[in-house]
Amino acid sequence: MKEKINTFLASDLLEKYLLGDISKEEAQQTERYIAMYPEVRESYEELQKNLQIFAQQYALPTPQGLKEAILSAAKQEKRLGRRFYKYAVAASVAIMLFAGTSYFLWDQNRSLQEENTLVTKQIKYLESNMMSQLEDMRNQFIVLNNPDTRKVQVKGKKEGKDLKAVAYINPVKKLSFINVGELPELPENKVFQLWAEVNGELVNLGIIKEFEDKEKLLAMPYGEKAIGYITVEPQGGNASPSVDNIVANISF
Amino acid sequence: MSTLIEKHIVSLLAEKDDRAIALLYENYGDTLYGVAHKVVKDQDLAQDVLQESFIKIWKKADSYDSSKAKLFTWLFRITRNTAIDKLRSVNNKANKEVQIDVSDVYNVGVKGISPDHMDIQDNLDKLEEKYRIVLEALFFEGMTQQEASEELDIPLGTIKSRLKIGLRELGKLYGTTLVLALILNLLL
Repeated sequence: MKEKINTFLASDLLEKYLLGDISKEEAQQTERYIAMYPEVRESYEELQKNLQIFAQQYALPTPQGLKEAILSAAKQEKRLGRRFYKYAVAASVAIMLFAGTSYFLWDQNRSLQEENTLVTKQIKYLESNMMSQLEDMRNQFIVLNNPDTRKVQVKGKKEGKDLKAVAYINPVKKLSFINVGELPELPENKVFQLWAEVNGELVNLGIIKEFEDKEKLLAMPYGEKAIGYITVEPQGGNASPSVDNIVANISF
Repeated sequence: MSTLIEKHIVSLLAEKDDRAIALLYENYGDTLYGVAHKVVKDQDLAQDVLQESFIKIWKKADSYDSSKAKLFTWLFRITRNTAIDKLRSVNNKANKEVQIDVSDVYNVGVKGISPDHMDIQDNLDKLEEKYRIVLEALFFEGMTQQEASEELDIPLGTIKSRLKIGLRELGKLYGTTLVLALILNLLL
């Protein structure tokens, strides 16, 4: 330890530190030694004292007017500093306002863009929906107005005895629709299901809902010699119909 | 320099109170001016240096750390470095403007030395020439120890030892003067 201190004191680090002619690393090392070892601290104190004595020996009376010049320069500096501070605060506030506004606008822009995408999607969906509905309507209109269209009364039997439905079939346009006007009441666990036999295959056309619009025409697949059936099936419908359950035939 | 005044100045500096500048000037102005003059060797330049140094001191006031250096050490460092920078920039300009007579730039214009300063001058004369030359080269010429060794044609080791002894010697010289002054005071 003693040796370490002596080596340090023998080096010229303390003298260089005194004058400020020292690298950052060396300065940190010197400051560490000064803080840790009283001997080094004492030497540094002595050097500082002697530096002052040495420098004082070169003292010269300052020229007249220099003091006033320096004092006014310092005052000006202080004012400038204060003015700079004011500007700095103003600039900071302006920057913060700008940043805040920018963020707000950016955020608004982003949500508007999102909304825009959503609206565009909705419009496209509505458009295609409308197109298909229009197409439906057009087909219905064609079928209903076409002189080639045959109107077939569908009569029910068994549980479907009171069923009233009309099928419209147009062999020229190869379109067919059915309008179910009245459905008899069924037990809670039974439903009416619509089928079509096309080219020997049975196609499930879904459950006929009770509260469906009475004016609504349901599209049916058209086929030569196709037969439509209405069956009574358990709640939820059936994957394939059973002949026993047929309550109405629609022959094309 | 009384520590009380020093403490007072330091606290004024920390508060950015401009009374600090006046007090600094009154207490350290002559010494710092002398340091500046010793470096730049010209009255007008020395005045510029002192003014620039005081502005720097004023601007850096809140960075002064009394635990790292005495007030004077800090003031000395700033003034010395400002003076050395000034000298270098003047030399650079002088080198560029070849026509300028060197004697114009380095006009040694110390008009007179007051009796107060004479006492210290005596003291300085007592400091052996060989130490003084080394200290002046390092302190006022802004030379590194290596540069001083080459410039003065003295081995680097000798430069180092003369710097140490010279600085220590000063304390002794000053110490004896102080003791003598005290004894004189008591006798009279």
